[in-house]
Amino acid sequence: MTQDILRQILDYSNRADPYPLYKELRRTPVYHDGSGPFVVSTYYEIQALLHDPRISSDARNLASNAADPLAEPGGEEETVLPPSFLKLDPPEHDRLRRMTNRPFGPPHSPHRVHDMRGDLHEIVKGLIDRIAENGNAERIDLVEEFSYPFPVTVICRLLGVPPEDEARFHVWADTLAASLDPDPDADPKERERRTHDSRMELGMYLSGLIEERRKNPTGDMLSELATGNGPDGTMTTMEVLSTAALLLIAGHETTVNLITNGMLTLLRFPEVLDRLREEPELSVNLVEELLRYEPPVQLVPQRSTLADIEVAGVSIPKGASLWLVLAAGNRDPLRFEDPDRFDPDREDIQHLGLGSGIHSCFGAPLARQEAQLALSELARRLENPRLLADPPPYRQNAVLRGPRHLPIAVDGIRP
Amino acid sequence: MRLVVDLNRCQGYAQCAFLAPEVFAMHGEESLLYDPNPGTDGEADAELRENVTRAVAACPVRAILLELADGRAGDGPGGAS
Repeated sequence: MTQDILRQILDYSNRADPYPLYKELRRTPVYHDGSGPFVVSTYYEIQALLHDPRISSDARNLASNAADPLAEPGGEEETVLPPSFLKLDPPEHDRLRRMTNRPFGPPHSPHRVHDMRGDLHEIVKGLIDRIAENGNAERIDLVEEFSYPFPVTVICRLLGVPPEDEARFHVWADTLAASLDPDPDADPKERERRTHDSRMELGMYLSGLIEERRKNPTGDMLSELATGNGPDGTMTTMEVLSTAALLLIAGHETTVNLITNGMLTLLRFPEVLDRLREEPELSVNLVEELLRYEPPVQLVPQRSTLADIEVAGVSIPKGASLWLVLAAGNRDPLRFEDPDRFDPDREDIQHLGLGSGIHSCFGAPLARQEAQLALSELARRLENPRLLADPPPYRQNAVLRGPRHLPIAVDGIRP
Repeated sequence: MRLVVDLNRCQGYAQCAFLAPEVFAMHGEESLLYDPNPGTDGEADAELRENVTRAVAACPVRAILLELADGRAGDGPGGAS
């Protein structure tokens, strides 16, 4: 094992194909180079840690993250809003997640996600129609034209952002996403200023909308979060804000990458793309295999230990920083047969792509529907699509990994 | 359609209740209620069938066993050929 395998994983030149590095990493299921994080890369160990109550998601439990290359700087920006449930432990996590789930899913709102299917269809149709009308068939950037705008629009509908404000919302989401993906050539001061401004504007906008919905609730998530009054009480305005920001950020970039990684994979396996065109129901299992094969969240970097623990014979002290490399566990040959093969018919497919345990992806049912619909509609409507660059240019981010652009050419677009 | 949920595997992720709310429902935060014999397998059940298929695939612990009327096994533990 080379000393700098973690640096290699983070190195941009390995972004298009980190899987050989993960394979090397798995030779040491718990990798620790002396000062950095403890990096866990094998399926069963990751699965166990995701369910282990001695593991914390709250950065305040870290003894020190000085040597962790993915540690968050945690400046002033981090303290503007209270932490969302993504970065909290029980019981605070449970209280906020329960209150957020109340208007989103079963048992209280079993129909919210299901009932969005008509909206999802209409948004997907609108985006593909727009490519057909305005696009240049010789060169379409699927990220800009499709995978990027789709999830933001969905989150706007879910939260209840009025349609006339959606364009402003897109601009803020763009700037915040760019801050997750620093362009090494850009002026960092200028970028920081723009990120800060966007955060402020988005915060001001959302707090205005929350106040409005509190007075005149309209049945959307924001109204329900602002007025909800279940056994856990009502969220404060700051808690609603921080939850809405979490849904926006966590539900956006990840879904963009799931869809883009999905199209990239389908274009690399044209026989599967052809099948999907004929059998749209294949999209259900296909999306599960994509979540295993090219997961949008490659690793979970922000966990820490609340006690001294032992994992695969390695002692990890209390307060240590952990990385759980989901994308490596998903290709662990001790768990999956022929793990490097993309197989949309795979039956044994209990992947780690959406995490597991108390922090398992909150938006999973929505993300699944978005990806299933997006991929089956793209397969149906694009005529003879082909990649113009393989690999395509990737985003900088090693954690939320996916192509920055996906340039393709088509012969035409079916109605 | 016949359904069995292995309640020893079920961890209350509730993914099925999101995707096929007419068949699966949460009773409280953790217990699952489901219709073991939904629909009548007529034409009108195509959507129901699609929703149930999505629910089966979405179960993070693969606890749902589905048997379609034509005897074909759906996805799930033991259901795989």
